[in-house]
Amino acid sequence: MENITDNWLLKVEGLTKIYGEPNEKSVRKTGPLFGSNICPETDAIVACADINLDLFPGEVLGVVGESGSGKSTLVRLLYFDLERTAGAAYFNQYNNGVANILAESNQKKRYIRNHLMGMVYQNPKDGLNFRFSSGGNIAEKLIMAGNFNVGQIRERATNLLAQTEVPTQRLDDSPASFSGGMQQRVQISKAIANNPPLLFLDEVTTGLDVSVQAKVLDMIRTLQQELGIAMIVVSHDLSVIRMLTDRTLVMKNGRIVEQGLTDQILQDPQHPYTQLLVSSLL
Amino acid sequence: MKPILEVYQYSKRFDLHILNNKRINALNNVSFAVNPGEIVGLVGKSGSGKSTLMKSVYRTYLSTSGEIRYDSLRYGPLDLVQATDHQIIALRRDEITYCSQFLSVIPRVSAVDVVAANLFRRGLEREQARAQTRDYLYRLGLPEELWDAYPATFSGGEQQRINVARSIIARPRLLLIDEPTASLDQKTKDVVIDMITALKTGGTSVLCISHDPYTLERMTDRTIELKEGSIISNTLNLN
Repeated sequence: MENITDNWLLKVEGLTKIYGEPNEKSVRKTGPLFGSNICPETDAIVACADINLDLFPGEVLGVVGESGSGKSTLVRLLYFDLERTAGAAYFNQYNNGVANILAESNQKKRYIRNHLMGMVYQNPKDGLNFRFSSGGNIAEKLIMAGNFNVGQIRERATNLLAQTEVPTQRLDDSPASFSGGMQQRVQISKAIANNPPLLFLDEVTTGLDVSVQAKVLDMIRTLQQELGIAMIVVSHDLSVIRMLTDRTLVMKNGRIVEQGLTDQILQDPQHPYTQLLVSSLL
Repeated sequence: MKPILEVYQYSKRFDLHILNNKRINALNNVSFAVNPGEIVGLVGKSGSGKSTLMKSVYRTYLSTSGEIRYDSLRYGPLDLVQATDHQIIALRRDEITYCSQFLSVIPRVSAVDVVAANLFRRGLEREQARAQTRDYLYRLGLPEELWDAYPATFSGGEQQRINVARSIIARPRLLLIDEPTASLDQKTKDVVIDMITALKTGGTSVLCISHDPYTLERMTDRTIELKEGSIISNTLNLN
């Protein structure tokens, strides 16, 4: 069930990631106005800068933009895959939301990630260990979240695979032998194994054929409705965004150029870039 | 009586940056009010601004200037133009529904679940929501063998009935409905009109776009006519 209250679950302020050697002008001299995220003076790459957002419990937020716009960087910073250059993120289920989770120790970041977050990557190889069985992959997440009862782990893994429509008799097979759609569903099972309040989905249907794509999207929607997980959905595909999200951020050259209700973004886009995106893709 | 909805000096202009900054003035300084339990018909030629007005109230379109005052159960008096996205999301779930002319289908979701979604989003138990939905679909004359099928393959009239059912089943306080009877036969048209009129008895206010004189005559308390983005008449229907 949707559970949008008047309190945020995640708050992001001034999040910035720069590769290379920036100087004080790097952020000012890059962005949509300059059509580039490369600093003209130092060649530093401003992957994303000054990102502010609020995510509410149970809400699904879309992030769209072209390749290189910084959308994956954004979720990878929030999942601690990358180190930020500047900025803060607060998570109301951790220390009552007063601590900047991006400034915590690695040990605490691991705790947050294992107990409160899930991530589904575009490439199943990034989210799954192909040397383990699919059940083993799910077990890994459960063990990291502090569950050590083998019987319970096996039962939970079986239930998760059934829920995501992966044949449960393949629990002991490596995902390496699975189809792309099945690998993606195992990855989703793993990501939600610890019942996280927050899930990141990075281009999860890219590269899947249409019928498999519909199946994965339908599954994500059902999980969202039944478990009320808040999600940040990164996609360059506007139909995925339309189907899954309530609100959308549009990114270009590492900046948010527009944000709003998803139907507003799609039907009354304000920024020239969003107008171009919508008119090209619909 | 205090209006539930008051559109005040509202204008909407589309700025098309990618077409040499072309500007389209869709609505100019529009003002009107809807009272609780009132059904207001919006009429006018294609392109006169009816849908733009409706989508502005639903906040699919952002305003250029003016106010859209709505008397919310949850928030009290609120300008929908200024409301936050999260407030709009909550209002769409609990108070305001919009029924477009076209059903945007979701792959692999059955007709029953498309309609029931608006009930279990509000916390109704799944099977209860489905039972209530079947009753609506039965009354709308949707063949029973279609209830568990996917609406993507349905005919225009069948999709329209799904669309109408999902927008009225949750008994909104304010219903925005675009051509509810356009592709329906006479019998189904009457069922839809009766359903919307029944909502009104329960206190729902309705803004309804229609080109159909029969629907307007039977259903509406007031008619507002738009021409080239302006209101040219606002008359009570005395019938």
